[in-house]
Amino acid sequence: MKRFRCEAGAVIVDLPSEEQAMLKKVLSDLRDLLISDSDNTLRRLKPPAHLDNAEAESSYRELVDDDLLRGRLEEIELVESTLDSAELDEVGVAAWMHSLNNLRLVLGEQLSLAGVDLAHHELPDSASAALYEWIGWLLEQLITAANEYHDL
Amino acid sequence: MTTPVLIPETEVEESVDYARPWKVLVWDDPINLMSYVAFVFQKLFGYSKEKAHDLMMEVHVKGKAVVASGNKEKAEFDVYRLHEHGLWATMEQDE
Repeated sequence: MKRFRCEAGAVIVDLPSEEQAMLKKVLSDLRDLLISDSDNTLRRLKPPAHLDNAEAESSYRELVDDDLLRGRLEEIELVESTLDSAELDEVGVAAWMHSLNNLRLVLGEQLSLAGVDLAHHELPDSASAALYEWIGWLLEQLITAANEYHDL
Repeated sequence: MTTPVLIPETEVEESVDYARPWKVLVWDDPINLMSYVAFVFQKLFGYSKEKAHDLMMEVHVKGKAVVASGNKEKAEFDVYRLHEHGLWATMEQDE
């Protein structure tokens, strides 16, 4: 069954209850992680803008980090409020897409740090790898539905 | 570049050479989905499906691609929006 589909000018979310519960849990973990700002897996969510100019980089961080965090927390909230079947507009689609991708980035970074070679799709048989794959599967479906939505 | 006469000399030394445009680069990473990266290019820059796909493939195959360019403010805004979307973007001034 498709978890996201484009229908009548909206993207419909249709998740089984156990998947809603799982997302609710990992989104809450993501929120805690974002707020704590202490985990090194977060570096993937805050890549540098300037590679060889420390001064420019630090003023860029000062300029954007609060906005990035605020936006991400607001989007998590929007996703949480639409977990139980919803019709998403463009803002809702973006919130879901960013939140799923942020989850994937953090999980992927954790796997990479644990020595997993993501580039060659050699995932271990572990709970975090399964979660990473599942979120990727959801995200692919959302992108397909969002492409249809934008083509209308 | 012609230096505007009104700027005091002390500021000129620190000022950036605004005549040279800035490039916005996106780097390959093993986590972001290819379909997601192409979607983001379309959405943020209004590129066609084909152009967004080609750029995404360039990132994937060559390791990086210039996805936009412009003055410093525009480049910074583009990088910020790409970071909002979780892409690994940087900016640098043209040689």
